[in-house]
Amino acid sequence: MSARAVALEVEGRLAELSARGLNATLSWSLAALEAEAARVDAMPGTGALHGMPVALKDNIVTTELPTTCGSRILEGYVSPFNATAVNRLRAAGALIACKANLDEFAMGSSTEHSAYGRVRHPLDPERVPGGSSGGSAALVAAGAVPAALGSETGGSVRQPASFCGVVGVKSSYGRVSRYGLVAFGSSLDCISTFGRSVAEAERVLAVISGPDPRDATTLDRPPLLPVPAPASLAGLTIGLPTEYFPADLDPGVKAGCDRAIALLRELGARVVAVSLPHSRYAVPTYYIIAPAEAAANLARFDGARYGPRFPADGDLRALYRATRGKGFGPEVRRRILIGTYVLSAGYYSAYYGRAQAARARIVEDFRRVFASGVDLLFTPTTPTTAFKAGEKTADPVAMYLADIFVCPASLAGLPAMSLPLGRSGGLPVGGQLIAPGFEEARMLAVAKTLEAQLDALAEVR
Amino acid sequence: MSVTAKEVQHVAALAELAVEDAELPALTEQLNRIVGFVAQLTELGDLEGAGRYVAGPEATPLRPDVVAPADLVRPPAELAPEFIDGFFVVPKLGALEEP
Amino acid sequence: MAWETVIGLEVHVQLGTRSKMFCACSTAFGDPPNSNVCPVCLGLPGSLPVPNAEAIRLAVRGALALGGEVAERSIFARKNYFYPDLPKGYQISQYDQPLSTGGAVALESPERGSVTVRIERLHVEEDAGKSLHDRIPGKTAVDLNRAGVPLAEIVGGPDLRSPAEARAYLTTLRQLLVYAGVSECSMEKGSLRVDANLSIRPAGSNELGTKTEIKNLNSFANVERALESERARQQALLERGEPVRQVTLLFNAATGQVRPMRSKEASHDYRYFPDPDLPPLLLSREWIEAQRAGLPELPAAKRARLVQVHGVTPYDAEVLASEQGIADYFERVVQAGAPGKVAANWVMQDGMTGYKATGGFAVPATRLAGLIALVDEGVVSHQAAKKVYAELAAAGGEPREVAVRLGLLQVRDASELERWVDEVLSEHAKEVERYRAGESKLLGFLTGQVMKRSKGKADPKGVQPVLQRKLERS
Repeated sequence: MSARAVALEVEGRLAELSARGLNATLSWSLAALEAEAARVDAMPGTGALHGMPVALKDNIVTTELPTTCGSRILEGYVSPFNATAVNRLRAAGALIACKANLDEFAMGSSTEHSAYGRVRHPLDPERVPGGSSGGSAALVAAGAVPAALGSETGGSVRQPASFCGVVGVKSSYGRVSRYGLVAFGSSLDCISTFGRSVAEAERVLAVISGPDPRDATTLDRPPLLPVPAPASLAGLTIGLPTEYFPADLDPGVKAGCDRAIALLRELGARVVAVSLPHSRYAVPTYYIIAPAEAAANLARFDGARYGPRFPADGDLRALYRATRGKGFGPEVRRRILIGTYVLSAGYYSAYYGRAQAARARIVEDFRRVFASGVDLLFTPTTPTTAFKAGEKTADPVAMYLADIFVCPASLAGLPAMSLPLGRSGGLPVGGQLIAPGFEEARMLAVAKTLEAQLDALAEVR
Repeated sequence: MSVTAKEVQHVAALAELAVEDAELPALTEQLNRIVGFVAQLTELGDLEGAGRYVAGPEATPLRPDVVAPADLVRPPAELAPEFIDGFFVVPKLGALEEP
Repeated sequence: MAWETVIGLEVHVQLGTRSKMFCACSTAFGDPPNSNVCPVCLGLPGSLPVPNAEAIRLAVRGALALGGEVAERSIFARKNYFYPDLPKGYQISQYDQPLSTGGAVALESPERGSVTVRIERLHVEEDAGKSLHDRIPGKTAVDLNRAGVPLAEIVGGPDLRSPAEARAYLTTLRQLLVYAGVSECSMEKGSLRVDANLSIRPAGSNELGTKTEIKNLNSFANVERALESERARQQALLERGEPVRQVTLLFNAATGQVRPMRSKEASHDYRYFPDPDLPPLLLSREWIEAQRAGLPELPAAKRARLVQVHGVTPYDAEVLASEQGIADYFERVVQAGAPGKVAANWVMQDGMTGYKATGGFAVPATRLAGLIALVDEGVVSHQAAKKVYAELAAAGGEPREVAVRLGLLQVRDASELERWVDEVLSEHAKEVERYRAGESKLLGFLTGQVMKRSKGKADPKGVQPVLQRKLERS
């Protein structure tokens, strides 16, 4: 199939989803798709992703389509450079399909905080697709594209993957270049991949991975190579952290996990209970560190050098305050204020200092467990299935707790992924695998084996 | 510790964010909710000897001193809301201050 | 009430690199505005910093030249504030765990003799761009060419006790950094900037008074003037019983006065935290020591060696060692055979005029040594040699050949000398009588007249005996 034909097909699907009101995309055009296709059709065809359309979360910069980060403060902003990940996708023959909707500046767990309207869950328009990479997840779930890039800071790819019933993979921090990802929490941010299948998500991840001289936080490690699914899991030890299986876990989620755990045993894995005692401090720790880094990262948005200006009478400070006060939505504003507060004079050691130390303890929990003979951890990805729009927006903390199972692996920089386990009342249930640092291959292999055995569309109870 | 409205205003000024008077009470309440939530970490005590986890490589890579500027597909003039004679232009600061 | 002045200086120098601190844009001075920019130094969304190896190396050399302790592990930190020429809304600098701490600068104080100023720290950071407030009415024009240029910030302790001393510190510090090849240190080009802190206290007190900060100083002379103005201002306040408030001041070079900035915030909360985009800077002890070994001979050592080895006076050594170029030239002249003291005089007088104008010595060292030898051999007089030097500097050539061409060879021919002496004696009969009457010091005057008559060509050593002989005859 020629890339041009792919482009036309994608265009058709995106148009259909727009008409349905999914609101998963922020920018795309037939002209842009055709330009991508022309470029790909001129290539030899040997690229790992030749002809594959890939959606990009709209916080990854591109030079043709705008990058808004779901915010008014970047409305109409077209970046003069491309993200490294985008360059690598293109070099492998992929087509950039569109820019996907997101929670503003990647801050959120439902994509309800986009300045351009919320994204609807493909299976139930009253529900959220999760966030912050909700648009990317919805596009893959709705079949518009086979794969998409999202970004994670506290779980923003795994969580919507779980809600939408697709695969979401975050690699180790430092494996994928952040050059061109609009920074939110710099020590946490990871460009991550969505796919209909583990193989597709893995293939895209392999293409975008690798050290980048433009990103000082990337590490040089052996390249990520797709691995075959083992037929048997004998010899493998899977740990179940007790803190992730609370008594009040949603019954559907619990059932989905129980099914998967039983399957793991059937396949020969040894399944043991383990403990990550500092788990409950992960979300509070995250909500100190991420906002602090974000407050500094978002200071550059002031209407001075790019982006729109918001009308202000008066001097330069009036311009800054009007642009930032009106250009940022309420959740971003809250996080900037929290971030500024926890770094401010008198509060640094009580909050930021303490959070860094708590983070070290969380990292140590994982290290200890993996050193004790556990090869992988298995947990639910989210405490519930997709919730209804508006359900958690009244209380910011309620929304934060949606990340309770995904957040710790982000803090620890560990590779982690979500895999669809089945359905509960028609809504997808996701299971999470967490691997030791740079052991993505192990995690992806086991995921493939599970995927082959699980019917992701079947009700779990 | 609870956050006062005055502190919220001070922090908003530090962050150059306009906060309307009408928004202040609700915002203060929300921030207190969040601060109260993250303050759970005090349960962990002094956390002595916990060290600091640094994400990424142990050492920063260094670049050779070569002039090779990264390409800009479009120049600053095309990005800027206001650009005159090669300069970015902004309203002047009211009080003549430099940090 | 006797007051003691306490001054501490923060100096920012631009490290002598080709590219910026965190990106590969050029650091060239004077290019069209916003022409040396890229996503990183523009702070565009998605950009990331990567440090410049040469900037680090030069900063380490600077720290070692100052006697500082270079840390094997240092951390980049974000200094957060809003300003139009700070594109990211924060500056990447260092806070806790800077590149270097400690060290000292020894200088000659105009008032107190030998003084040592402690160096508290040296750290690396990126520069901000330039804001021009007077170019467009009501607006500020911003040029980001300078944004991201590598700087070393050197913080001196509150050890200076007068504005003149502060100036001496700056001269000495600048010399050290230029020697170590760290920076051009030109205040005119903005590659050296100074912020000065001053407080006063009753003489004998150990507590520090409230200090103020003066910015916008563009020459060492203005640093001194500004500090004098501020010291007077603070003294007047305290003597009226009013407190000194902690303010930032700007210096107006035209009026020679300082005035407080109209600023609402007395102090800034920079909310420093380690920059998560930059892992720690790790330098091995071996590498640091290799940088130390690669340092050139520094001014103090050079001065001492010039005195000891070449026998020049300490004052001469100071002039010769004021710049490496001068000292190197001097030593080449000596190496080509000239005696130290004589060579020093030639370099400091005739040589320096040209050096100040052009930055170089027009006469090659071997040729100057050759000229000095001619004087020593009596082939030309010292006066004539100066003319030869001028010709060598202007048009080149070999010393002896030039001397011959200009007709400056010293004349020793007895008959010529006698002729000049006879002429002078016949024209100065009165002085001859006075000499014969006992005023023997007129010999010098008469010798001078013979030199004049000979247009400097006579060999003074030959003239004197002839004069004396003819004068003795009554």
